Amino acid sequence: MKHALQIFGFTILVSAFYWYVSLWVPQKRTDPPEDIVISASLTTDEMIPIGEEIVAGKGTCLTCHTMGESGTGLRFPDLGNIGAIASERVAGQSDVDYLAESMYDPNAYVVEGFVAGMPNVSRPPVALTDQEILTVIAYLQSLGGTPTVTMDTPLQWQGQAPAPTAATAPDAPPDGATVFTTYACNTCHSLDGAAGAGPTLQGIGSRQTREEVTASIREPDAILVEGFAPGVMAATLNAFGFYDNVTDAEFEALLDYLMEQ
Amino acid sequence: MTINRRSPVLRAACIAFLAFIVLILTGEVAFGAPQEAPGDGDYRTMPFVGSRVFMWVVAELHLMFAAFVLAVPMFALVIEYIGYKTGDKRFDELAYDFTKLLSVSFSFTATLGALLTFGLIILYPALTDYLVKIFSWTFLPYVLLFFFEAIFLYSYYYGWGKFSPRVHLFLGLMLNIVGTAIMFIANAWLTFMNTPNGIDELGNLTSVWDAINNYIWMPINIHRLIANVAFGGAIGAAYGAYKFLGAKTDQERAHYDWMGYIGNFIAICALLPLPFAGYWLGVEIYAYDQSLGITLMGGTFSWLFIIQAVLIGNLFLAANYYLWLSMGRIAGAERYRRFIKYLLALITICFIVWATPHSLVATVEEARAMGGSHHPILNVLGVMSAKNTAVNLLILTTYVSFLLYRRANKEATVSWAKMGNLIQFSIFAVVVIFVVFLGVYGYFVDAQTRIGLSQPQVMSVLFAMVAVTVIDIFLFKNARKRGEIAWGKIPGRAQYALFFLAITFTWLMGLMGYVRAGMRQHWHVYGVIRDTSVDAYTPTLGFAGLVVSVTVIIFFLFLAIVFFLSGLSGKKNWAPKSPPPPEATTTEPLPDAEPATEPEKEPEVAGLPNPLASLLRFIRKKS
Repeated sequence: MKHALQIFGFTILVSAFYWYVSLWVPQKRTDPPEDIVISASLTTDEMIPIGEEIVAGKGTCLTCHTMGESGTGLRFPDLGNIGAIASERVAGQSDVDYLAESMYDPNAYVVEGFVAGMPNVSRPPVALTDQEILTVIAYLQSLGGTPTVTMDTPLQWQGQAPAPTAATAPDAPPDGATVFTTYACNTCHSLDGAAGAGPTLQGIGSRQTREEVTASIREPDAILVEGFAPGVMAATLNAFGFYDNVTDAEFEALLDYLMEQ
Repeated sequence: MTINRRSPVLRAACIAFLAFIVLILTGEVAFGAPQEAPGDGDYRTMPFVGSRVFMWVVAELHLMFAAFVLAVPMFALVIEYIGYKTGDKRFDELAYDFTKLLSVSFSFTATLGALLTFGLIILYPALTDYLVKIFSWTFLPYVLLFFFEAIFLYSYYYGWGKFSPRVHLFLGLMLNIVGTAIMFIANAWLTFMNTPNGIDELGNLTSVWDAINNYIWMPINIHRLIANVAFGGAIGAAYGAYKFLGAKTDQERAHYDWMGYIGNFIAICALLPLPFAGYWLGVEIYAYDQSLGITLMGGTFSWLFIIQAVLIGNLFLAANYYLWLSMGRIAGAERYRRFIKYLLALITICFIVWATPHSLVATVEEARAMGGSHHPILNVLGVMSAKNTAVNLLILTTYVSFLLYRRANKEATVSWAKMGNLIQFSIFAVVVIFVVFLGVYGYFVDAQTRIGLSQPQVMSVLFAMVAVTVIDIFLFKNARKRGEIAWGKIPGRAQYALFFLAITFTWLMGLMGYVRAGMRQHWHVYGVIRDTSVDAYTPTLGFAGLVVSVTVIIFFLFLAIVFFLSGLSGKKNWAPKSPPPPEATTTEPLPDAEPATEPEKEPEVAGLPNPLASLLRFIRKKS
């Protein structure tokens, strides 16, 4: 019994020592990247800081790439001056197209001296949206160059991300279009300008701010569009259980969807 | 008699196993249905510790016991086979001693496995649902194999000496095959979570086999197979140490000293090739997704590998220390004692280099003084070239300790003895120079070339170990013995070195289990199912260290129960104490003493069971 107790004490001592070692190294908690709300009306200058945030956060670009380092020790191309050299990398390809291709189809061209291996960042696990990639391009252009990309710049790879389904991914972000139909918004509001029981939502993203649209959903009767009766929308949404069941993520997805109109 | 005494354990294992089957089957039925019960969320919360920590600890404990239950039959079978071929009964007894630990451990494994399954179903229903959809076809074979494992394990243990040696060896072989197959299936589930395969972009299953045969399935299979042997050997050695410390006779001490030595030998032999299996695993992780690999090795978890370096460095130090102490029981080993200080110095230097971080934790002032987070001198040691060199020299040094131990009481009698020694020394010298040269060369080449240099370094060390061993075998054939090994003549601190090794192995296993799961960060299934729970963040290494430490302490508490129960098999059957001899009477009664009486007869208790009779005797005497 004496030996057993000594051995157990020894076990606690050694385990405590290793715990101490683990406290000795830097302590950093890593939180999941937060989703960034990107408005379709951002200017190029407004896109740059958002792109910078994505590069350091959700995009996980700095896990592999460096900023402003040089030498033979680099495992991936340095991005410190990418804005200045992007248009020279591939003959006949603009800097925007080169940067976009580097993210959507990264192995189409691999910088000399490096090996292929970068994943398509529009696919999981990184899963940047088309809008997020545009902001990243704006930021990368700003690194030694002049940003020219806008939120309306078309890219040939856009729209290729697979639509997530609840069956395969319980955490998959909800689809705004699905939320729009699930709670029967489409029965009253059109998206193509057609008349309905409620005002059309065509172009709502350019006519109203996100906050105004949010307020219109949360308190439909606060500001009424002329010619439409009060109480109808609130009653309809209540009947479909919108206010009881909609999650924050679904609400945000619905807002995203409406702001894209 | 033995079977009767063990039957509660057997019953407990059967109950746990049945519970496991019921869980799997009910899980399959429940999750086979597409609809989800209203109000069910993706997560439920475990009170007090939280879901993640609860599952973390349970999973680790389950894996530790499972590793032990899978490893022991491997080397028990080999030891039994050696005994069978050589006719040396000691090997048979040693194999049986190791096997005695299995039955209770098997029950613990099954119970913890059931708890793990419960936890997954209750706390992570959506994740479990998805994994069940992907792997439903693997569950039935898993359960069947588990059933067969129970049959083979108990027939191997209880059948010791009851079957012919060949039949018994066959049972052991089947136990190993079935156990390995079980591990391979379970590995498919967990490796899929890191490197999912066999699914389309939406996460729908396209091929069960591809899901099983994902990028890191086979590397993990091999890595775990070897690591389990190392772990099992270390725990077996700890059992030997525990029995040694409590031994009453020299014979017991000799036996358990030998057991501890063999366990440690197995552990270290398995430890040496483990880095190579780990290297393959790392390559496959990078091949699947470079960013996943970089998260593991160069990002969030890079500092974890400094902790790992401390652990492995300690393993090497303790293993060598044990060997040096062991040489004290060998007549003739004195002539090698002078080398120990050099070996210790080399191991310490390699340890320090390996544990040197690339960047330092520094205050702003310190960072300014250094010109960045990289120390001007230490920075040179904290890179791959230096660390690979240090590890290879560490392995080589430990091998030299083994070599000295092996030849401690032998004197070569072959005519070419001097030449043989010279060749062995030359091989060591050339390989050390080659390894150091490649390490230095690595500072002057690009990253791709530098990574490639690790292979020739590893291969040259392997070559040295194989070539020197082969020469050594022939060199000491028919060698003259300088003396015998005095088993049991070893200081108690050597046994604590064995415990230190077992604790360190267990801690290392816990840490590496954490990083394997943790590298997914905020994903349950990497890139497919995101963790949206409150525990989605990656905790600090200090917190992870605390969880691992607590897990290790719980594991050793359970292990103490295993050791205690396993030790009962060697005890004699309980028997009542023989009745005390009649009280001595004096022929000359003392002045105040009552007259001497005849010993009381107890006709009224004669027919009662012994304990009751003793109790009645006691009461009568007191009254």
